[in-house]
Amino acid sequence: MITMNKVSKHYGSFQVLADCTTQVHKGEVIVVCGPSGSGKSTLIKCVNGLEPFQSGEIIVNGVSVGDPKTNLSKLRSTVGMVFQNFELFPHMSIIDNLAIAQTKVLGRTQEQAREKGFKLLDRVGLRAQAEKYPGQLSGGQQQRVAIARALAMDPICMLFDEPTSALDPEMVNEVLDVMTELAQEGMTMMCVTHEMGFAKRVASRVIFMDQGRIVEDDSKEAFFEHARSERAQQFLAKILHH
Amino acid sequence: MHEFDWSSIPNALPFLWEGMKISLNITVSAVIFGIVWGTLLALMRLSPIKPLSWFAAGYVNLFRAIPLVMVLLWFFLIVPHLLESLFGFPRGSDMRLSSAIAGFALFEAAYYSEIIRAGIQSVPKGQMGAASALGMTYGQAMRLVVLPQAFRNMVPLLLTQGIILFQDTSLVYVSALADFFGAAYKVGDRDGRLVELLLFAGAVYFVICFTASRIVRHYQNKLKTA
Ligand SMILES: Nc1ncnc2c1ncn2[C@@H]1O[C@H](COP(=O)(O)OP(=O)(O)OP(=O)(O)O)[C@@H](O)[C@H]1O
Ligand SMILES: [Mg+2]
Repeated sequence: MITMNKVSKHYGSFQVLADCTTQVHKGEVIVVCGPSGSGKSTLIKCVNGLEPFQSGEIIVNGVSVGDPKTNLSKLRSTVGMVFQNFELFPHMSIIDNLAIAQTKVLGRTQEQAREKGFKLLDRVGLRAQAEKYPGQLSGGQQQRVAIARALAMDPICMLFDEPTSALDPEMVNEVLDVMTELAQEGMTMMCVTHEMGFAKRVASRVIFMDQGRIVEDDSKEAFFEHARSERAQQFLAKILHH
Repeated sequence: MHEFDWSSIPNALPFLWEGMKISLNITVSAVIFGIVWGTLLALMRLSPIKPLSWFAAGYVNLFRAIPLVMVLLWFFLIVPHLLESLFGFPRGSDMRLSSAIAGFALFEAAYYSEIIRAGIQSVPKGQMGAASALGMTYGQAMRLVVLPQAFRNMVPLLLTQGIILFQDTSLVYVSALADFFGAAYKVGDRDGRLVELLLFAGAVYFVICFTASRIVRHYQNKLKTA
């Protein structure tokens, strides 16, 4: 479903991604972790072309992301993305947040879009908040809305960039529960997260990045039990202590 | 000591009101055209297409470096001729109002575009990212997500600029167009009561602008607490 082949990116002389190669098959859940600044966000933003890259190749569902002829907007409408800071549209009600791209991008009618929106709000347990504005919701609720907004586009896969790291601790689980459910339903997912409990529960594979390189790319069992690189071992020791 | 005599004002009110209508007409038209053109300039300025961005920067710097009254004068002198020769308007038709509006709009657009550019840049970058990630084109993301938020933050500044513009409309006296100030001047001149009429006009400008800025400030406070 997602193939990355020797993807590299640099800002001037600073290498953000170096020869990143990996694959995500249909139905897999990949957890991406690594120290701050290691290029995790950049990596998943390359998948839907939100960040350009200079060399290498990314194929999503048969479409080459880096090809200048590719219609990036169309590609992005098929790939859901969830951000650290939710990025709901503050000037629109919750239900409008869910409906806007369905009508403007997919050409659905307002009724179809709202109906779909209500269904998804139901699913994340927020139907009652449909007419409120993002600012009136808690962080956890906003992030669940953001997930529902991405799902409303019927994506073929979902990208998450640290979806719980801006949340108060007591709200982390309500978001992880939605993600876990999604994973169990067979959604293909790439998640940047430091929630190792989540990784242990649902990940198919774990990717560990350091200084723009994919250092480990292994099944979760192999990763947690005997990470090969010293960097990953140190990282795990630090994070599992919390 | 000057003896004040206000008696010529009541009779002149209908004439003064005609002048006020011209002032308001120029203000509202120039605000609307100025914001539309200013928005386009701001988008060009922020565009990655270099020639567009250079053009917008040049335009803004040019208009901000010359006095408004000069721009107006050029428009009175040049635009009527231009329209005559381009579109065959009959010679001598009164183009003063249209050229005044055009002059103000083009001039104000330079100021509006800077306000709007700052407004666009004040919207968090992630909003454009989220809109793009949903499959919106750059144009859709700007129109549906970024600009509405930018404008909501900018309304007080845009209105304040509008109030300044309203005061500046008095500069159309250079074309002998009877706006409110021009009308007051004419009446005062005719009746030999210039001081009274100009005091009256000043009071009217003050009341309108003061009230308007109070309303803007009220709105601004409401935005802050929202
Ligand atoms: N526009 C930019 N110009 C220069 N360097 C950049 C730019 N954007 C990101 N970087 C650098 O690229 C590196 C990777 O950034 P990225 O955001 O992908 O890291 P990350 O692994 O997601 O980190 P974090 O855990 O802090 O989110 C960082 O060192 C960052 O400073
Ligand atoms: Mg990041």
